[in-house]
Amino acid sequence: MGICHCKNKGRNSRRRELDGASHNAAEDRRDTALEQDWWKSVSPKDVEMLILDSLKAIRSLVENDQEPPQELFKLHNIADQDDGWIQIVDSMVRVVPVEDPLGPAVITLLLDDCPLPNKNAVLRLSSKFNLSSKNRVSRGMDNRKPRNICIALGVLAEKLSGPSSVAILTSATLDFLIGNLEDEIDPVVTLFSLIALEKFAQTSENKVTIKRRLAEAGDPLLRLEARPPSSDLIESQVKFCATWALDNLFLVEGRKFSYETVDVLNINAMLNTKDVSEYLKISPDGLEARCDAYSFESVRCTFPATEGVWFYEVLLLTPGVMQIGWALKHSKFLNHEGYGIGDDEYSVAYDGCRELVWFAARSQEVGGGRWKAGDIVGTLLDIPAKVLHFYLNGVQVFSSDLLFTVSANKYFAGASFMSFQQCRFNFGSDPFRFPPDTEFKSFNDYASLSPQERIVLPRHLEMEALRNMSIREDSCAICFDSQAETTLIPCGHSGFCQTCTAQLFECPMCRAKIDRFTVDPT
Amino acid sequence: MVSLPRRIIKETQRLLQEPVPGISAVPDDSNARYFHVIVTGPDDSPFEGGLFKLELFLPEDYPMSAPKVRFVTKIYHPNIDRLGRICLDILKDKWSPALQIRTVLLSIQALLSAPNPDDPLANDVAELWKVDEAEAIRNAKEWTRRYAMDN
Repeated sequence: MGICHCKNKGRNSRRRELDGASHNAAEDRRDTALEQDWWKSVSPKDVEMLILDSLKAIRSLVENDQEPPQELFKLHNIADQDDGWIQIVDSMVRVVPVEDPLGPAVITLLLDDCPLPNKNAVLRLSSKFNLSSKNRVSRGMDNRKPRNICIALGVLAEKLSGPSSVAILTSATLDFLIGNLEDEIDPVVTLFSLIALEKFAQTSENKVTIKRRLAEAGDPLLRLEARPPSSDLIESQVKFCATWALDNLFLVEGRKFSYETVDVLNINAMLNTKDVSEYLKISPDGLEARCDAYSFESVRCTFPATEGVWFYEVLLLTPGVMQIGWALKHSKFLNHEGYGIGDDEYSVAYDGCRELVWFAARSQEVGGGRWKAGDIVGTLLDIPAKVLHFYLNGVQVFSSDLLFTVSANKYFAGASFMSFQQCRFNFGSDPFRFPPDTEFKSFNDYASLSPQERIVLPRHLEMEALRNMSIREDSCAICFDSQAETTLIPCGHSGFCQTCTAQLFECPMCRAKIDRFTVDPT
Repeated sequence: MVSLPRRIIKETQRLLQEPVPGISAVPDDSNARYFHVIVTGPDDSPFEGGLFKLELFLPEDYPMSAPKVRFVTKIYHPNIDRLGRICLDILKDKWSPALQIRTVLLSIQALLSAPNPDDPLANDVAELWKVDEAEAIRNAKEWTRRYAMDN
C-alpha cells in the first residue's frame, strides 16, 4: 500500500481530496481550537524537529485507516500562514537527508498536504533559495539542499500548474535546473533537476520555454542519454529519465523515438503497456519501470503463468517503497487511493523497504533486513504445490500459500511503485543472478509477443491516436461503445444501449423510475 | 494505459472542439481521466474578475458515478470548504449518467452566482452569509482579489 500522500483517505492527496465533500466536524473543531497566531511562537528549530519527527512517524504508517501523525497536523497549521509555509519548505530542504529512502516522499507529502500557497509566497520562497547557475553542486559536494530544492520545485510546479507555475520558473530557476544537467554535476542533483523540469513542463507555456532553453544549452538531454552504460544506479536512473523525457516531453528534431531503435527481438515477456496505471514510466524494452508521480503506480506483466513453477527477478535501482509480487487479472490498480499489488485479495507483494509482505491490503512483517538499491528480489510461484516464495539476494524471506485461497487460472508478475522508485525486471531474457535450487520455468522461454505488442509507444502518441478515433453519432449516450437501441417505459426516453440500460434504475434524462424497456427494431 | 472508454474520448473531443464560454477544461497530457479546469467568476457575483482553478477526475466507473471535482484556488463560499470540496447535489445523490463534464462545470459556475448558505459546507462562511451578507460578500471579493486574480 502506498504511503501517506496516496494513502490516508480524505486527508492529504491532491487527488484523494476529490473523494467527495463531507462535513468534517472534527476538522472544524481542530481549527477553532488553535489560536490564530499560534505558529508565530514556533522557532525554526521546532519546525526542523517536526519535519524529522514526521519522517520517523511516516515509516510506521501502513494501514489505510490510520490517522496521519500529529506532526503533520501541526505543520499543516503552521503552513496556513505564508510566513509559516515558507519556513517549513526552507527547513525541509535543509534537513531531509538524501540517504533516507522515504525523504522524497516526506517532502512531497508535506507540500501536498499544506494549503496551496499564493504566488507571492512561492516567489518569496524561490528568491530565498537564491538559485542561479552559479550555485552548482559538483560531484562529491554536499547534495542535500539542491536535491531537496529540486524535489520541492517539482511538487510546486505540479501543484500550481498554470500561470503560477510559469511565474516560479524564473530565468534563474531555469539556469539552475538546466545547468544541473551538465556532466560535472552530482548525478543525484541532475536526476531531480530533470524530474523538476518534467513537472514544470506540465504547463504548456513552460514546456515551450524549457525546450528553447535546452536547445540553447546544446541539448544536454541528448548528452545524458548518450552517456555510456554504467553500473552506477544513479547514473542509470539519469539515463532512463533523459530517454523518457526525450521520447515524451522534450522531443528533439532528428532524434528517433527510442522504441524505433531498441532491440527487443529476444524479449518475449514485458511489462504490459495496456495493463498499467496512468503515470508509470516504462522503458522502451518493456523491462524497466519508474514512478515519478505522487500516486502509487502499478503494472502487470504481459504473460500469465497458468500451471507449473515460475521464477522472475527484479533489480532494485532505488531503495524506497515498492510492492513486487504476483497478481490475478481481477486485482485493481487504484493509484490515487494508494492501492496496488498486494492491496486486495487477488494479489500478494513483498516490500523490503518497510520489511512487509502485503496481501488483501494487510501487511505482515518479514525478515531479511531492509532492502537497498542494487539488491535483487526473486520470487518463485509454485502452482501445483500452491505456495509462493520471496527472496532477497537469494535468501528466502517469506513463503506462504497466500493468493491460492481464491481459485484462479492466471497469475501475473506485477509491481507497484511509490514516487521516485525504479526497478528492472528479468523475466528470463538474461541469466538469473540467484536462481532457486529447484526446477522452474521463466516467462521468456514460454511467452511470445507480436511485433506490435513489443512496441512501448510514448504516451503522447498513444493519446493522439485515441483523440483521432472517430465515434459514431448513433452510439449510446452513456457509454458510446454500443449502438443506442432501447426505449424506457413509462417515460419514453431513448438513446441508450442494452448493457447500460440494464444498470439503470431511473431514467438518466427525467429520473422517472424505469419499469421496463423495449429494444428498438433495427 | 488501462483502456479508455469511448464516452470519455467523446466528451474530451467535444470539450476541445466546442468549449463552454467562461470555462476551460483541458485533459492532462498523460492522464486522460484528469482535467485541469479554469472557471471564470460570473459577472455580478463577488467572484467577478477571478479565475478559479479546479481539478476534475473521472473515476473508474464514470459515467455511472459522478466526476470528482475540487477547487484548487482558495475561495470564500458557503458551499465550498477550505480544502476546495464542493457541496453540490449532482456531484452526489443527484448524479445522472446523462450529465457530463460540461454540465457539471456549468452547475459549479452557477453555484458561484447563487451561493446557498442553507446547505453549507463551510460552516463559518455560511453563518456569516446568513447574519451579515454584506460582510460575507466583502470577504468573498477580498479572497477573489487575493487568490484568484493575477495568480
